[in-house]
Amino acid sequence: MTGCISKAELGKMFAQAAELIRDRSELLSHLDSQCGDGDHGTTMTRAMEFLENAIGPANRQTVSEMFREAGWGVMGVDGGASGALLGSFIAGMGDPPSGDEMDCKGLSACFGAGLRLVQNRTKARPGDKTMMDALVPAVEAFSASAENGKDLSEAMRGAAEAAESGAESTRNMVARYGRARYLGDKTLGCADAGATSIALLFRGFSLALVTKKES
Amino acid sequence: MRMKKFINDPKRLVPELLEGFALAFPARIRLLGTNTVVRATPKAAGKVRLVTLGGSGHEPGLSGFVGPGMLDYSVAGEIFAAPGAPRCIEALREACRDGGSALLIVLNHAGDVLAANITMEAAAREGLNVKMVLTGEDISGPVGDRRGLVGCVAVYKVAGAAAEQGASLDSCFHVAERMNRNMRTLAVAVRTATHPATGHPIFELGDDEMEIGMGQHGEAGTGRMKLKTADETAEIMLEKLLADLGVQQGDELLVLLNGAGATTLMELYLIFRRVARLLESKKIKLARSAIGEFITTQEQAGFQMTIARMDPELIRLWDEPADAPFFFQA
Repeated sequence: MTGCISKAELGKMFAQAAELIRDRSELLSHLDSQCGDGDHGTTMTRAMEFLENAIGPANRQTVSEMFREAGWGVMGVDGGASGALLGSFIAGMGDPPSGDEMDCKGLSACFGAGLRLVQNRTKARPGDKTMMDALVPAVEAFSASAENGKDLSEAMRGAAEAAESGAESTRNMVARYGRARYLGDKTLGCADAGATSIALLFRGFSLALVTKKES
Repeated sequence: MRMKKFINDPKRLVPELLEGFALAFPARIRLLGTNTVVRATPKAAGKVRLVTLGGSGHEPGLSGFVGPGMLDYSVAGEIFAAPGAPRCIEALREACRDGGSALLIVLNHAGDVLAANITMEAAAREGLNVKMVLTGEDISGPVGDRRGLVGCVAVYKVAGAAAEQGASLDSCFHVAERMNRNMRTLAVAVRTATHPATGHPIFELGDDEMEIGMGQHGEAGTGRMKLKTADETAEIMLEKLLADLGVQQGDELLVLLNGAGATTLMELYLIFRRVARLLESKKIKLARSAIGEFITTQEQAGFQMTIARMDPELIRLWDEPADAPFFFQA
């Protein structure tokens, strides 16, 4: 069946995202040091290394259970707000019941449920200069592609681009949420570290799916 | 300037620090699992257990207040980052074992609140008997979303004393809430700290400047100005606190001065002198005070000033004995 992914591809998606985030760890910490305490790169690397090990074919649970447990596990790496929100996104992805394989619409339902759980737990919304500025457009773009019958790799490329432009747009925002909001106008000019991480996450997902098609 | 700190592995700061802490106070505390500090001798069954959570790098906070008369569990996070909900719920399960109950005391910071809310969702699912108090007393923030600073120590103290005496979960909760409602804190910073894992300064401040309203992690405040004398600084800060709390002649206050890490006791006593004299001249009673380092931010220079309006019960609870590594009174 074309356009379907199983745990093997999910594993590759998270491994590729972990690699990108690990490579950009210094950059993420640098961005964070403009508006926060400068540890975002190390936090995200820890979280992604956990996910890379938790998600993949070696996991014997159903896909839903795998996401729920992996999400809870990410919260356990003690990554402050970033860890809690990324963990909530992954845990929420386990809300829709999914079989061993999922197509574009199935994955879209997972992303949507992940986003809903994050939105239940944080008051941050797009425009506040947080990870939501990348996550919301990425999930929306993926959902629109799924609705329009696009294949997984095309939909993921669209999500990655939406996340990247969302992250880029935070450059012109003043932080309105979390620790950075106390810095006010000083947060203008630098991209939000959390949004940049989410862009890397979706770019990693997209690269993993492109590689699959080409090989 | 390059970071000059005695560090082994930046990734292992928290476990190594807590290992050292547990080795230094073997009669009082021990480690439970990874990075959670508990009493060496658990509180008697049936009494409410106090649990707190928060990032590390603020020693002796928060784990230094685990002990008889104060906290039962401190779930320590990474440097300046909240611990995750999975470890917090483990502490709550422990605290509520054999049908007990727990009061979770959380300082209002985005990551801590997020972890605490996820933990409370899980506690509700599991039917644990837990209540949560969110402390927030930093007057530099908007009412309704004020940061939790060193005032949490007063909350640990009075709620801890109530719990030790066998008060119900509801009573402990109300005592904690009353303390929180009646306290106000303002911070000032004069020099930045370095994040010990990244080596980066956590904020920038000119050589001749100070900033009033600075948060626990260098979050910018509202009043950047040229460095002032101890007397002037004490006066500016105390006036803002008194006005915000609406303190009247005859009120009884607890005053806490909390050094940020690199401000000396000498300076804190200069500040305290002025505070005490001003209160005297305003006919406001200085009921109790505590001066020292409670919650620090590495080598940041500055301090937090807390005032709290005390009623007879809060004073009585404040005066009860405590035997935590960093809060002892007979």
